[in-house]
Amino acid sequence: MKRGPIEIRIGLGSCGIASGGEAVRDALVRAGATVKAVGCSGMCYREPLVEVVGADGRVATYANVKPEMARNIVRRHERRAEPPAPQTRIVLENCGIIDPLNIDDYLARDGYRALAMGLSPDEVIAAILGSGLRGRGGAGFPTGRKWALGRAQPGAVKYVICNADEGDPGAFMDRLVLESDPHRVLEGLSIAAYAIGAAEGYLYIRAEYPLAVRHTREAIRQATGRGLLGRLRLEVREGAGAFVCGEETALIQSLEGKRGVPKLRPPYPVERGFRGQPTLINNVETLACVPWIIRHGAGAFAALGTKNSRGTKVFALAGKINRGGLIEVPMGITIREVVEEIGGGIRNGRAFKAVQLGGPSGGCIPARLADTPIDYDALAETGAIMGSGGLVVLDDRDCMVDIARFFLKFTQAESCGKCTFCRIGTKRMLEILERLCEGKGRTDDLEKLETLADYVGRASLCGLGQTAPNPVLTTLRYFRDEYEAHLHERRCPAGRCPALIRYRVTANCIGCTLCAQACPVGAIAYRPYEKHEVDERLCTRCDMCRQACQDDAIEVL
Amino acid sequence: MRAWIAGSLVVLCVAILLADYALAPRQPFAPRPAAEQKRVTDARLARKARDNAVAWVLIAAAAAFLTFAKPLVKQPNPPPPKTRRSQRGADALVRARPPGRAPDLDLTFVDQAVSQFGRGKEAAIPLLQAIQTHYRYLPDEALRRVCELTEITPAEIAGTSSFYGQFRRSPVGEHIVRVCHGTACHVSGARQITEELRRYLAIPEGEDTDAARMFTLDEVACLGCCSLAPVLMVDGHTAGKLTPATACEALKVTA
Repeated sequence: MKRGPIEIRIGLGSCGIASGGEAVRDALVRAGATVKAVGCSGMCYREPLVEVVGADGRVATYANVKPEMARNIVRRHERRAEPPAPQTRIVLENCGIIDPLNIDDYLARDGYRALAMGLSPDEVIAAILGSGLRGRGGAGFPTGRKWALGRAQPGAVKYVICNADEGDPGAFMDRLVLESDPHRVLEGLSIAAYAIGAAEGYLYIRAEYPLAVRHTREAIRQATGRGLLGRLRLEVREGAGAFVCGEETALIQSLEGKRGVPKLRPPYPVERGFRGQPTLINNVETLACVPWIIRHGAGAFAALGTKNSRGTKVFALAGKINRGGLIEVPMGITIREVVEEIGGGIRNGRAFKAVQLGGPSGGCIPARLADTPIDYDALAETGAIMGSGGLVVLDDRDCMVDIARFFLKFTQAESCGKCTFCRIGTKRMLEILERLCEGKGRTDDLEKLETLADYVGRASLCGLGQTAPNPVLTTLRYFRDEYEAHLHERRCPAGRCPALIRYRVTANCIGCTLCAQACPVGAIAYRPYEKHEVDERLCTRCDMCRQACQDDAIEVL
Repeated sequence: MRAWIAGSLVVLCVAILLADYALAPRQPFAPRPAAEQKRVTDARLARKARDNAVAWVLIAAAAAFLTFAKPLVKQPNPPPPKTRRSQRGADALVRARPPGRAPDLDLTFVDQAVSQFGRGKEAAIPLLQAIQTHYRYLPDEALRRVCELTEITPAEIAGTSSFYGQFRRSPVGEHIVRVCHGTACHVSGARQITEELRRYLAIPEGEDTDAARMFTLDEVACLGCCSLAPVLMVDGHTAGKLTPATACEALKVTA
């Protein structure tokens, strides 16, 4: 046997823990290994993930590790995972490699070097401007311009805020970065504070991310202890569960202890924000790009991506995909490359139907437009937006009307209630969509939906209301036939809407009673060796019988 | 105490009766002289009279024992309405822990929290979060106390606490089950998970907590574990890649 391994890493982010990572760590420790708990590397579909760095510096990765396998891993290499498809890692550079709770790990990987480079504030802003970095939270405002505005503001008291209120369902890159590499965000925030001349900063983190909150608090304690943050005072504030607080003016209201209701802009927060003072708000991912840009120069960042969208973007790949997780790709890559090459195609060999990009503010891009490059402008042309980077892949069993209804239900519930069109308009739109899903649509419903969508978009104050109709508009644009099937034929082509489908047992049935055992409401009588039947009156369309059937003998009508 | 006395009386009476009946058949019947016969007959009659008295005492003591002992025996939980197979598992879970204690409204915690977070209006959300973590919901008394101690007005506290999804104004069950209804979970069957959990815990329509106040079911927007969809979180423990059956299993981590 050669020299033993020098380092064993295990991913213990939220996803690693949820997959049983802690049991694996205990087993590794019991097997006699020294284990370093790191954050998530983005290969969430492979968790629990164990990496062994050999004495020669080669990394072996083991995926879906179970506690029983720990001994074998320590002894020899087993169950290797193929390395993740080629990606360009800037934001995720350290994720899954360093121990997030150990500042020395971060320092060893050039951490806080960007802060110590001694550039003047103007040079920093010039670098950010030159890199072409745009806000990664959704709207895509050029970060350098925002910083220059912040610097130009008069006044001695200024604030910086890191927006980590990642409420967009389907996006989790901010959670992962804060859990796995919190110092990177702190460094970015310190550079921002230095550039505009702020002495106080806040990180507004979603309360649903307890691990991210804990890691960030610990990182602040360590960095302050080492004197790395200078006179900058940082504090973590937890959100309280309101999606609208991701909007910058609402976030400030929330920090001030009020209801998170957006305000009219201008004045922009950068002119008059938190406590009435100039306030710079940037997203986690934006700030995580900053140290890399300063260290490698604006040119290196600008060399990646397309003309108006420079650098890389992190996407949370989820839904009906084989390899879900976090990926970082250069801008300009096509949706098809992401889904098929990095994501490994559609799960269970089904057909690729659409991707939902940008969450409740974004839209659905159909498979036929999959060659659209991922950049701010090309995506805006399709009606979707880059958003915060949630990319949910849908297959042919997903109903687009149901998806539109899902997002509208979300925005309707999260609307703060300030603007009438957002408050009531989304409610009326939701009613129409619910009617369609139940097969009770009225003839003029689609026109009414379009009219309302137009009103809501134009008459709302903040991004939530302005973009709320996007999921409806894009699905109407690309999947109008599905809406029409719901409306005129009272039929759900994807077999998804409970009120429009029926379950039937086909001739394939071998009478094995698996479906009868699985049915939670007793709608299938327990009759071995006979063809089973579904009792329509009892059936709740929960789909459990179809999933239980081994012989493909249950069809959806 | 009274139950103990009555109980021991019952035991004593039963012992006397048993002893009498055990001894009685040991005297074989045989022709005897008249005086001897009379003595035996008298002894039998006396024993019969004594046994009758003892029996009456026994009945009275047993009645007293049942009455006094009743409060000592714990009432079993009324069985939840039977639906189907999964009922037994839910039942066992409910019995595994005593029902949640009534929240004691010791408001000293509020005073401590105020001294930690300050009295300004900006402290409203951290204060509410601390109170909710401590009491597990926002009791009206605690909110009133906050208004007394700080600059925050009752209107502001009512506004803030009703705006944010995190805050609850009514008590919760022993465990909180958060079922993720994010996009990825929605397309992977979060609705079925929620429906199955509601059936399993027998949570009535329109409510979020089961009858024994063990589990509160909450639908949340996104737990940020999209690649493990569908996901739920029981207290602090996350479980992913669920099916309706494994979702019910996941609740057992609390037992």
